[in-house]
Amino acid sequence: MPPALRRHAGALAVFGAAAVVPLVSRDNYFLDSVVLILLWGALSAAWNVAGGYAGQVSIGHASFFGIGAYAAALAGTRFNASPWLGMLVGVAISLAAGLVIGYLSNRLKGPYFALATIAFSQVLLIAASRWRGFTSGSEGIPVPFRPGFWTLGLGHVAWLYMALAVCLLYYAVGVYLERSRVGYQLAGVREDEDAAEALGIATRRLKVGAIALSAALTSMCGTLWAQYVGFVDAFYVFSVDLSVRFALNTIIGGTGTALGPFLGSILITSLETYLRAAFAGATSGYTGIYLIIYGVVLILVVRFAPEGLTGIAARLRGRWARA
Amino acid sequence: MLELEGVTKRFGGLTAVREVSLEVREGDLLGIIGPNGAGKTTLFHMISGYYRPDEGRILYEGRDVTGLPPHAICRLGLTRTFQIVKPFGNLSVRDNVMIGALTRLRHVREARREAERVIEICGLSPHAEARAKGLPIGLRKRLEVARALATKPRLLLLDEVMAGLNPTELAGIIELIRRLHADGLSLIIIEHIMAAMMRLAQRIAVLHHGEKIAEGTPAEITRDRRGIDAYLGEEFVLAEA
Repeated sequence: MPPALRRHAGALAVFGAAAVVPLVSRDNYFLDSVVLILLWGALSAAWNVAGGYAGQVSIGHASFFGIGAYAAALAGTRFNASPWLGMLVGVAISLAAGLVIGYLSNRLKGPYFALATIAFSQVLLIAASRWRGFTSGSEGIPVPFRPGFWTLGLGHVAWLYMALAVCLLYYAVGVYLERSRVGYQLAGVREDEDAAEALGIATRRLKVGAIALSAALTSMCGTLWAQYVGFVDAFYVFSVDLSVRFALNTIIGGTGTALGPFLGSILITSLETYLRAAFAGATSGYTGIYLIIYGVVLILVVRFAPEGLTGIAARLRGRWARA
Repeated sequence: MLELEGVTKRFGGLTAVREVSLEVREGDLLGIIGPNGAGKTTLFHMISGYYRPDEGRILYEGRDVTGLPPHAICRLGLTRTFQIVKPFGNLSVRDNVMIGALTRLRHVREARREAERVIEICGLSPHAEARAKGLPIGLRKRLEVARALATKPRLLLLDEVMAGLNPTELAGIIELIRRLHADGLSLIIIEHIMAAMMRLAQRIAVLHHGEKIAEGTPAEITRDRRGIDAYLGEEFVLAEA
């Protein structure tokens, strides 16, 4: 195998498999799970830009997700505009919000930064749920289905390829951040900011840039998710649960690796989909059990594979190469 | 090349560095000595941009660099190492040095070549692939120097790069500093190991309670009573033995 192919073999397998799904199955439930796996994977990859490569662990990325979701939903329902336009507006607002969060990252470190990002998302949650006249408050916004590309009214297969295209784009961003000049400098910032400064790296500017980019990418997917699911609820799109999900997928998959967030999403999203279906219904008495299993998986990964699924893969490959 | 004019730094009621003036000329090898808490590292923090002096000015190559951030000062050709080494622990030695080289070079490939060259000079070639945090302290100190060198400084500040080394490692790093100096690099070194300092430095400044109490050649310093009282006493006897 040529080295470039070997380097991207994992990605080729994952994204290739997703691409052939519609050829194999037209079951909407199955297609739906794949679309969600891809979207959560892309969102985790977006989180990875700040949380992984730049080492700025945010638990408030739902902020940008919600901004993207609301921007497109409001563009369609209030201004009769295309959700694509809404996506652009959402990205612009998220970039600005990302700069604010990025500024915070220069003042607050580690857990204090994480707390500040949670607070930020909660402020947006309160704003969106109280500003009834504009956002419909806690009732949420149903996104009308209008068939067509410009209105993002697509079938399951088209959504799958849309989500896959986004995944490829975000994977490419990750690869760039692994191997480029900026990527190495970010690694320096993540490992030790003082040392990075001494080596001539403008650490503050770099961190703010990474957080803003991460915010913009998250916002884009927020728009897509809202248009796909068809409903925007402030208590969901700005929730801490969601922010934690982006972080968890990435940590489980492999922080600061291009493929990790996608592997994490495959494991967690499919596990959740399966467990939810298996223990569905109030009568079973196990409706919340997926959360427990979720927690157990996280503990196992942190304990036995702190570098995530990509770390396990690298170890296995090393053992295989020696054998 | 570097001029300090009455530089002062206070932390609350404590004056860590008081009106220190210093001059480093092109090709100098200046040593700074003094007991613990004399303000040596604080002085380095100010020169390299980590602390802003409360009073005084710092001029580098005729330019006022007081208050510039460390990365800007590094790009002007002045950088430092840290007393408590700060390797990028999860990265390989090569990647550590490469990140330094990328400050001057645009392309990753060029930077990797430059890193190899610097790693060779610093005698780290056998460890290029090793993770930085797994290295013994002697090699981590070398890595600290290698990484700083990769940014191509004209003036390098070394903060106790010899502390904690065994005699073999010590001889190696002294040899390295000598060679860098011979190749035209100007240096300021903070060191506790007097024997090494007396052999290496052309001039020595003595700090005590944040003030510069003496400056001169190693021979002059050893004759200066105040310097000896402050610090050299017993250790200097050891150094001469």
